[in-house]
Amino acid sequence: MNFWQDFLFKLVGGVTVTLKLLSITIPVSIILGIFIGVLRVYGGKIGVLIANFYVFIFRGFPLLVTMMIMFFGLADLGIMLEPFWAAATAIILCSSAYQSEYVKTAILSIEEGQSLAAKALGMSSFQEIVYIILPQAVRIALPGITNEILYMILYSSLAYVIGVSEIFSVAMTMNSIWFRPGEIFGTIALIYLLMTSVASFAFRKIEDKLRIPGFERIR
Amino acid sequence: MKVENLRKRFGDEEVLKGISFDVMRGEVKAIMGPSGAGKSTLLKCIDLLVKPDEGRIWLEGVELTDPTVDVNKQRRKIGFVFQEFNLFHHLTAIENVMIGLRKVKKLPKDKARELAEKALLRVHIDESLWNKYPAQLSGGQKQRVAIARALAMEPSIMLYDEPTSALDPQLTGEVLQVIKELADSGMTSIIVTHEVGFALEVADELMIMVGGRIIERGRPAEVVYSPESESTKAFFRKVLRVEGTTR
Repeated sequence: MNFWQDFLFKLVGGVTVTLKLLSITIPVSIILGIFIGVLRVYGGKIGVLIANFYVFIFRGFPLLVTMMIMFFGLADLGIMLEPFWAAATAIILCSSAYQSEYVKTAILSIEEGQSLAAKALGMSSFQEIVYIILPQAVRIALPGITNEILYMILYSSLAYVIGVSEIFSVAMTMNSIWFRPGEIFGTIALIYLLMTSVASFAFRKIEDKLRIPGFERIR
Repeated sequence: MKVENLRKRFGDEEVLKGISFDVMRGEVKAIMGPSGAGKSTLLKCIDLLVKPDEGRIWLEGVELTDPTVDVNKQRRKIGFVFQEFNLFHHLTAIENVMIGLRKVKKLPKDKARELAEKALLRVHIDESLWNKYPAQLSGGQKQRVAIARALAMEPSIMLYDEPTSALDPQLTGEVLQVIKELADSGMTSIIVTHEVGFALEVADELMIMVGGRIIERGRPAEVVYSPESESTKAFFRKVLRVEGTTR
C-alpha cells in the first residue's frame, strides 16, 4: 500500500471522530456556558458560589490535566469512562467555564433600566432573564463564544493523549509508520485550518442573522 | 391609591422622610422639586422597583407592601414610564408593546398584536414605525412607544418619571401632548416633571418635594404663583429664571 492511500484512508476515520467530538462538545458547552454565566449573576449566594468555584477549577486546570483526570483519575475511583467520553467531558467542562465568563460580562454590561422595565411590566425574574436579558447578552457575547469554539476545535487534538483516535492521533500513528512528518502534519494543519474557517464563517452568519440595529459590533 | 409614611434610606442618607398622599381615580398629580429631592425614588418605591424601608402602599384596596402579596402580579396594574425610556433594545417597537401582553398576560399572539397596535396608535406611532428597532427611533418616538408599552397592559395608574428630561426641547411637546391626552381621557397619573407649564395645565394637584419631604401641595396655580414656603419660592425662582432665559 502506498503512503497517501494509507494515510488518507485512516485520516477519514480521524476526521469523523474529531467531528463527532465537536458536534457534542460545541452545543453542550455553549448551553452550559450560558447557564453557568446566568448562575454567576443571578444564582443567589449559593448559586454564585457554586458557579464561581466551577469556573475557578476548570479555568484553573490545564485542559490536558482535566482530560487525564477524567480518564485515569476517575478510573482510580472506579468510574470508567471511554476515552471519547472522557475527552468530551473534559472539553465541555473547560470550555463552558471560559464561555460563562463572556456571558457573565455581557449580562453585566446590560444597563439596569432593561431589568427595571421588565419588572415594571410584571415579569418574574425568570421571564426577565429569558426574554429580556439573555437575548441581548448572547448577542453581545457571541464574538467571544465564537473565539472559544475555534479554540475548542484546535484543543480537541489533546484527546490524543488519552487514546481517542481523532485527527492528531491518526497523524502520530501514521508518522511512526511512514515517518513523513512534513506531509502528514502539513495535511492535518490544513484540515484544522479548514475546520476553523468553516466554523468562523458559520458563526459570522449566525451573528449576521441575529444582528439588530443598536447591537452593531466592530469585527 | 394611598401612600402612607413612605421612608427609604440609601446608606447614611435618608432619601424619603415619610411621604403620604392619596390619589383618586382619574386624578392627575404632578410632583416637582430640585434634583436629589427623592422624586424618582418615590415613584420607584410606589412600583416596588425600589423596596421602601417603611410605610405602606395600597392600590385599589390591595396593600402592595404586604409581604404575602405577589409583587409581579400587582405591578401589572401600574404603568411606569422611565426618564431614559428603557425600551428593550432587541425588540421592535410593536414587539416592545407586545411582550408584556404575551409573556405576562399570556395573551395569544394575534390578540396581543391587536392590543399593541391600538396602544401605539393612541400615542400617535403610525404603522411605518412599528417594525423599527429602538435604535432607529427618535427620542420622542421612543418615549411614546414606552408609554404605549405601559398603556397596553391596561394599568389602573400611570407613573411618569421625568418623561421628557432626556429629550431635546423640540421633542418634548409630542410626548407631553400624549400624556395630556391620556390624562384628559381619565387615566389616573402621577407625573414627576420639570415642566412648570405642563404641570399647570394638566395636574389636578401639584406637590413640591424638597429633601425627601413634601413641603407644599395644592392647586397647581396656587402653588406656582403664590407659594407659602420659602423653599418652594426659591425653587420656582430658579426654575422660572432658567425657563425665562431659554424661551
